Amino acid sequence: MHFAYPPRKSSNPPPYFPKGSRSPFLRRNRLQTIALCAVGGFLLFFLVSKLFGSSPESIPSGTPPVVLVTVIEPERSHELSDKIKENRRQYAELHGYATFFANNTDYDLDKSPKSWSRVPAMRHAMTEYPHSTFFFYLDENALITNHEVDLIDDIMEKSKLESLMRTNIPVVPPDSVIKTFAHLKGDRIDLVLTQDKEGLAHDSFIMRRGDWAKYFLDAWFDPLYRSYNFQKAEAHALEHLVQWHGTILAKLALVKQNVMNSYADPIREQASDAGAAREGDFVTYFGLCDNPPRNCENEMQPYIDKATRQYNKMN
Amino acid sequence: MSLSRSPSPQRGGGWSSPGLTTPYNSSSRRASPMRNYANGSPSNVTWASAQARSAEVRGYPAFSTRNTSSWIGKHARRVSSGLSNLPLFRQSSYAEKEKLGRGRWPPGGGSRAADLARMVGRTIWRMRLRFILVISIILFTILFYVTPLHQHYRRTAWLGGGSKYVIILAANVGGGVMEWKGPREWAIERDSVKNKKAYAKRWGYELEIVDMSTKKRYAHEWRESWEKVDTIRNTMRKYPHAQWFWWLDLNTFIMEPSYSLQSHVFNHLKDNVYRDINVYNPLKVEHPLNASYLDPDTRAPEGDGKPDSINLIVPQDCGGFNLGSFFVRRSIWTDRLLDIWWDPVGYEQKHMEWEHKEQDALEYMYRNQPWVRPHVAFVPQRRVNSFPPGACGDNGDDPKIHYSEKDRDFLVNMAGCEWGRDCWGEMYNYRQLSNRLNRSRWDRFKDWIGDYMKRRREANQRREEEAKKKDS
Repeated sequence: MHFAYPPRKSSNPPPYFPKGSRSPFLRRNRLQTIALCAVGGFLLFFLVSKLFGSSPESIPSGTPPVVLVTVIEPERSHELSDKIKENRRQYAELHGYATFFANNTDYDLDKSPKSWSRVPAMRHAMTEYPHSTFFFYLDENALITNHEVDLIDDIMEKSKLESLMRTNIPVVPPDSVIKTFAHLKGDRIDLVLTQDKEGLAHDSFIMRRGDWAKYFLDAWFDPLYRSYNFQKAEAHALEHLVQWHGTILAKLALVKQNVMNSYADPIREQASDAGAAREGDFVTYFGLCDNPPRNCENEMQPYIDKATRQYNKMN
Repeated sequence: MSLSRSPSPQRGGGWSSPGLTTPYNSSSRRASPMRNYANGSPSNVTWASAQARSAEVRGYPAFSTRNTSSWIGKHARRVSSGLSNLPLFRQSSYAEKEKLGRGRWPPGGGSRAADLARMVGRTIWRMRLRFILVISIILFTILFYVTPLHQHYRRTAWLGGGSKYVIILAANVGGGVMEWKGPREWAIERDSVKNKKAYAKRWGYELEIVDMSTKKRYAHEWRESWEKVDTIRNTMRKYPHAQWFWWLDLNTFIMEPSYSLQSHVFNHLKDNVYRDINVYNPLKVEHPLNASYLDPDTRAPEGDGKPDSINLIVPQDCGGFNLGSFFVRRSIWTDRLLDIWWDPVGYEQKHMEWEHKEQDALEYMYRNQPWVRPHVAFVPQRRVNSFPPGACGDNGDDPKIHYSEKDRDFLVNMAGCEWGRDCWGEMYNYRQLSNRLNRSRWDRFKDWIGDYMKRRREANQRREEEAKKKDS
């Protein structure tokens, strides 16, 4: 309907002025509420971002949690080297891990023994896999002999590692005055090592990637250590490091030898108490099997065959 | 009007001369003055009484019978009449039976200055809340700087943040076993300590004076006199909430105590330091590292580029790193560095070469241990560690290294003064210079006057001498 005239005014006007044209939605107290909510929201956002903003970098999906590192002597028979690499690949494939192989001639060692190359190789692997958590160095002369052992679940998982690690024992056997710390948390451990009868074994060790790992590897690789003529080169340099520097000792856990570094029969007398290889051990190490009359290929072949059979069964 | 009769004297004084003068009561229009009026004859009006009456009407007398001698009395009246114009008192004047603002002139005669004053007064009154606020802010500011309040403020961690900085001053270097201290050494120590104490107090920093005298303290005798590391660690333990630790040798003098560390270095850390050593590289360190096995951050010339990752700030003089004045931050990285800094294997091979001990070892680590680089930054030498002319070259004019009075450099490090230079003399001169540069305005003014007088006196003397010469 259309009205020609505006409607008549009421003859008894309301005692107050009618409310203005302002929308009732934006009443003052409601505005206050909105402002308070906004401030509260921002505060919450700020707190949350503060709390979780410093969390470690986001790890892209598909990143292998563990990388197996092995340094290969290129002058060796390629057949054996391929078998050794295949042994790592089988394990990595079964557990979703990755492998990293380097030649011991890849790095500038400046006249120091080639065995030093494991140190820059670990650093290299961490550069290549910048999001993986654990890096497992396994010497060329060692084999994974039980594919069922999972590196994370059976060794590095926090409570598992706490139960495995040996506290308050001399770092370097038999009688170093420096002892491993008694109260360490499993998730704070960045380096897992074993001891054999003579000292720290560095043919099989696990590291956690991080700033500490860079520090440790760079300090270990220091030219002054390499030029010092330690009798056993990098092995003695390592023993020196852990005994003299508390920031390294505090990140170190020692585990029994058969957890990750059992010694095969020919070198079983070098092993510590629980170090001789037994059925079902995770890793078997063959020592310097290149030196005649020993022969690596002959010694390793039965273990390789067995591991391959296990791989085929599990696959 | 004709003069019908001769003028005759009247009672009020004077002569009545109706023909010649204007009659006092012109309305009467009579030829002869009236004899009597009921209430005071108009002929009684004298000049003086008329003036007095008009003064009453006008409100302010040209002269007053009361208070003529008292100045206060005169002004009190003006003040009290002015008060009625202030709103506080005006209410009473509303009671007057006249219409507001009509036929009344504002007191003060309506002069322009008074208008202005009244306007200002009214504005102040209207904005009294704001006015009180401003006044109290000014008052608080003055109070803040007069009382020790500003020191508390600067100290508090979450306000000024002064307690986050610790100055470590190494006193008594090599003392104890090596040599006895003479009066000059004591004087140097006293001056240096006093200087740092005043600075630390001014900005609320912590000052830790450490005794660096050589003592038999370590199982390993090589370790002796490498105590910088242990000292820093102990200090870190002593001040668990401090963040930055500033190492200072004894032979240093803070020339400009008005610079705070925050404003001078840390607030704009990124702009005040350089991380790429190629900017100034007296050691010719190869940088950045190019070994392919290293991670990208380590190979980058500036680390990750974030100021948060800087944990060590070192100046470089003409010969490399200089640890006479450097900063180290509490961090895990620092723990590691302090731990690995001294190593017996390194020492055994290098102690003949490393005559500067920690300094050389740090340079060595910077060169050879890649993990160190991304966390080290360099500060231009003159920002925190200017040298006197005697150090680093004989000319003392290297603009990167030597103290410049004109630029008001922050600190002087009399490095190497104990070898063939006069430590105490240098310290004394720099102290005097610092005092002169930082004197107050009043002193500056006095000095200016003094200089002016002196110059005039000298000019006079010269003129006299010239005059004498001419005479002779």
